[in-house]
Amino acid sequence: MTNTTIGGPAAANENAVQRFIRALELDTRMLGMLVALVVIWVGFDIASGVMRPGSGGLFGGSFLTPRNLWILLVQTTVIAVMTTGMVLVIVLRQIDLSVGSMLSVVAVATGVLQVFELGPMLGVGHPVIWLAAVVFAIALGSAIGFVNGVLIAYGQIPSFIVTLGGLIAFSGTAFLIASGVTVAPMDKTFKLFGGNGPAASIGPIWSWVLGAAVCVMIVIMIVMSRRRRIHFKFATKPIWAEFLTGIVGCAAVLGITAVVNAYPYPPRVAERFALDNGIPIPPGVEDRAGTDICMAGEKVVSCLDGLSFATGYPIPVLITLAVAVTMTFIARRTRFGRYVFATGGNPEAAELAGVNTKWLTVKVFTLMGALVGISAIIASARLDAATTALGTLNELYVIAAAVIGGTSLAGGIGTIYGAIAGALLMQSLQSGMALLNVDSAYTNILVGGVLVLAVFVDQLYRRRVN
Amino acid sequence: MKFKTLTLLAGALVMSIAPTAVLAAGKTIAVSWKTFQEERWKIDEAAIKAVVEAAGDTYVSTDAQGSAQKQAADIEALIGQNVDVILVVAYDSDAILPSIQKINDAGIKAIAYDVQFEDPNALYITFDNVGVGRIMAQEMLKVKPEGRYAFIKGDKGDPNATFLFQGMMEVLKANIDGGKIQNVCETFTDGWKPDNAQKNMEQCLTSTNNGVDAVLSENDGMASGVVAALDAQGLAGTVPVTGQDGDLAAINRVALGTQLVSVWKNSTDLGTVAANAAIALADGADPTSIEGVAKFNGGAKGVEMNSILLAPTPITKDNIQVAIDAGHITKEQACAGVAAGAVPACG
Repeated sequence: MTNTTIGGPAAANENAVQRFIRALELDTRMLGMLVALVVIWVGFDIASGVMRPGSGGLFGGSFLTPRNLWILLVQTTVIAVMTTGMVLVIVLRQIDLSVGSMLSVVAVATGVLQVFELGPMLGVGHPVIWLAAVVFAIALGSAIGFVNGVLIAYGQIPSFIVTLGGLIAFSGTAFLIASGVTVAPMDKTFKLFGGNGPAASIGPIWSWVLGAAVCVMIVIMIVMSRRRRIHFKFATKPIWAEFLTGIVGCAAVLGITAVVNAYPYPPRVAERFALDNGIPIPPGVEDRAGTDICMAGEKVVSCLDGLSFATGYPIPVLITLAVAVTMTFIARRTRFGRYVFATGGNPEAAELAGVNTKWLTVKVFTLMGALVGISAIIASARLDAATTALGTLNELYVIAAAVIGGTSLAGGIGTIYGAIAGALLMQSLQSGMALLNVDSAYTNILVGGVLVLAVFVDQLYRRRVN
Repeated sequence: MKFKTLTLLAGALVMSIAPTAVLAAGKTIAVSWKTFQEERWKIDEAAIKAVVEAAGDTYVSTDAQGSAQKQAADIEALIGQNVDVILVVAYDSDAILPSIQKINDAGIKAIAYDVQFEDPNALYITFDNVGVGRIMAQEMLKVKPEGRYAFIKGDKGDPNATFLFQGMMEVLKANIDGGKIQNVCETFTDGWKPDNAQKNMEQCLTSTNNGVDAVLSENDGMASGVVAALDAQGLAGTVPVTGQDGDLAAINRVALGTQLVSVWKNSTDLGTVAANAAIALADGADPTSIEGVAKFNGGAKGVEMNSILLAPTPITKDNIQVAIDAGHITKEQACAGVAAGAVPACG
């Protein structure tokens, strides 16, 4: 996890690019993945532009539009949240195959609680309902994860077996809880966790405030880190590298903020929002409101051009960001996190050094369960329904995202941000292929191929570095 | 009790057998179920049991628990019990054939219940699956005779997904050829999963810039995903969506106006028709004399069989009462959140 190249022996025969990367202390794997992401995005935008010209994307397609990128972020959240936990599980040399079925159980049980139990009892829309549902989902996920962990650590059953059993058993459990029926609709406030509707995003002002705050945080972290290094007499980055890191980091955050703010409410939603909030609809707009595509000269514009509201960051994306920051902190800055990486790197040594590896295993699986609970909330809120089918096969995508993101199945190696980038990459492939109207069979072949290719490239990279 | 049984029996007779058939109670009707994992089979069983017992016959059953081997053993055991008719819900349409041969050899009548196996001696009773697609398209044509259609199809590995699409195309072909209907998106949905359908619909709306006037979704689960995607664009309720299965949540959506139709296959109807046919066969009736029997050769091998194909019920805003009356859904479940006066059944 910690970058060991700092102050290490510099290779004498470095070229300019290598020196540049080393000065910035960049994670070259991550850099490679970002390049891959950009290539995929541009490729899809060009391809979708060829198929349907004039869609307004950066390269003429419909992929690199604020709307698609906004939806892409939301679509990634369910897998991204779970994959942050899977990183720790895999780093600990374990596996959790039950997360998909666990998501079904938690989503269906939470749905039953809010729709069949609390709804009739407290009256539909009572504020206690969504709160109880959220607490219940996370608690239930943690409880299931805890049992998994105890069976693995103290029952000494391989995690592959325990969670394979869970994968099969939990899907049956999910079916029984609601006897197979789809539970819908979700509580109105609960639904906001899915990101649909005006109230489920924080709007342009708060999005800018948040973007600016994160920017300030980045600067503070750079300054603190430099001070600490000077204090401990470590080698520091060249001052230009510090500035470049800060500028690029801030530009990225503000850029994403600009993108989510560039996605306006869909015309009908804007119209309803205006009516609900007593915002006057500009003259000449309402008579065009019946259709969704309006032409202004040659250009396709929103029919409610005069009535535009920026969407901003959707709640599920904010939850995912919060989870990512928390999990990164846990992994890198807490004793628990260091123990996980130490144990994954060498279980015997960690145990001899006094780490309670069994209890550690239980804690990691409980954490995994809690994250599944959060994903279950987002998934069922987004679908506005809880069904047994929700979450099926998600375990494969969660594991694939972690592995594409550089988590080693041999244990001891993995990063949270890498895994999230892996999830984003996989969802980009799926969304892009769907945008091109490609049969899902080809998408599955592509995603599977990318998984194997990613690990192969990773192996080559590691061999060269060592 | 006896009197009541006789009256019901008479009713069952009138419904099912040719007038010349001779009444004979005391027969045994057996069912070999493939599984009880899905909730619906319990509804089928209740319907069959009710008819059989009302006729004074005996109902026996086995549950294969999702195993072709167990089903073969189950059927041997049923043959050993000297039953008169065996209804088979085949777990595997091909692996079941040797067992069906044994049934034929023992002089017992076989009925293929809901799942087809291709044996010319058996009677095949199911819902008209191509018909479901046709009904969806017909209901959609009533409200959107022209416009941009999106097709959210089921899993590509399931032949039903293609049957349904064929049925839709039969109905829509004239309007598509005439340029009135454009096919703007057409995707298979892995595992018939609602969340996959939601993502596919989101991409469809993005690629067409919300240029979709109608969505033909092949079942209710996927319709829930489609409606969620439409809702995010403020289009739920203005763009009609189809579905099938009579899911409780889907019937509620029909009442709320966010879904146009849920084509419902009433398992009670299927069970009742099959049980009446079984009793008729047990009493020695010729299969072709049973009401509704026609020849069917649409299976994979094209074997001609006697069959009864039931028409499913389209549930729309206007006839939600049908599902409530059948005890399939309560009024509270169907009408949750529906404004007063909007839907006849909800008052």
